[in-house]
Amino acid sequence: MSRPAAILRAIEFHLPEKVETGADLIREFPEWPVSRIEEKTGIARRHIAAPGECASDLAAEAARKLFASGACTPAEIDFVLLCTQTPDYLLPTTACVLQDRLGIPTSAGALDFNLGSSGFVYGLALAQGLIEMGAARNILLLTADTYSKLLHAADKSVRTIFGDGAAAALISAGIETGGEPRLGPFVFGTDGTGSINLIVPAGGMREPRSAASAVPVIDSSGNVRTRETLFMDGGEIFAFTLSKVPLLVKQLLEKSGKTAEQIDLFVPHQPNRYMLEAIRKQLRIAPERFYVYLSDCGNTVSATIPIALKAAQQDGTLQSGHLVMLVGFGVGYSWAATLVRWP
Amino acid sequence: MFKSGRIFMDRKELLHQFETLLERPAGSLNGSEALETLEQWDSMSTMGFIAMVAEHGVTLSPRQFVNCRTVDDLLNLTGIPKS
Repeated sequence: MSRPAAILRAIEFHLPEKVETGADLIREFPEWPVSRIEEKTGIARRHIAAPGECASDLAAEAARKLFASGACTPAEIDFVLLCTQTPDYLLPTTACVLQDRLGIPTSAGALDFNLGSSGFVYGLALAQGLIEMGAARNILLLTADTYSKLLHAADKSVRTIFGDGAAAALISAGIETGGEPRLGPFVFGTDGTGSINLIVPAGGMREPRSAASAVPVIDSSGNVRTRETLFMDGGEIFAFTLSKVPLLVKQLLEKSGKTAEQIDLFVPHQPNRYMLEAIRKQLRIAPERFYVYLSDCGNTVSATIPIALKAAQQDGTLQSGHLVMLVGFGVGYSWAATLVRWP
Repeated sequence: MFKSGRIFMDRKELLHQFETLLERPAGSLNGSEALETLEQWDSMSTMGFIAMVAEHGVTLSPRQFVNCRTVDDLLNLTGIPKS
């Protein structure tokens, strides 16, 4: 008897309507060398969720685009996986809210999982597990984040980088042909010692919001934040990335028995151009096989990889039959990589 | 594709690359300069330095820079000896 095999079938994404440009930042911070920063980050615009516009709203729009594309109907979805670090509520689970809003059958399973930039690759692994164990046949994998709501308005170090966005992917059961897998293998990694370098300290149960957690503090670079807003130690994150990501790529190549030359396209998480360029140089991958998509949306955390995949498909870089390596890394620290044979 | 280990680079070449990173003329640094007096040594060039040595197989973290007073202190972290 043949076993079901997971196939990534389709991706759509949605960005909020409001756009913030370098010119907007210059108006707020006239002394800030915005053009030099843009040159380094490769980010010209970020989409910012409106007040009251939440991860579920962005995810729902991305999912509706997926249904409108003809990839599948809501009635065919039997599992919803939502990756977000900015859920609508502490509880209930945002994926449950979305089941109702999207008209997905009540017989479907649904769960949220909390990861950042590694989340899409982890979501693919969870989806593959559910399909191969026979528990689901059509999985809606949503990645949605509104980090803009976690940023202090006067913290330039993160406002130049993070944008909001969501992606919806359909992973379906196909028949295993005995040939090469169309998804996987996977390599994972975790290092909790890095948790202090990318964190919102207050607002959870360990440190509930209080008068003290709302006090603004100015750092040595003049950036302002409170314990309720995002803290990012950019230098430490950079060092972590350069020490882990090239190794992760190497581990996946070894596990899959592939050479780097057999990978048609590398689609890494998109933190900023400077970091991606350092990774690419270390790996010695030609620019045309290392996809960068940042200029119009910035770092959308868990949505960067599916957004980049869709963009690569739309501009013709990614074609049917291509072997693609997806590489996620970030908050946690958490990292993961996998291979996808593009449908 | 992957570097198997540290690629040989002497200290002179390392200092020259550091000058290039800080957009300073070749030969303008001798290593004894205090980092705090170098205007271009900022958060961006810190990352540039990490990337620069990573290309030579050396992994450094900004926390290691805290106790570096001079350019030589910084370059010593790479393990490439001063000849």
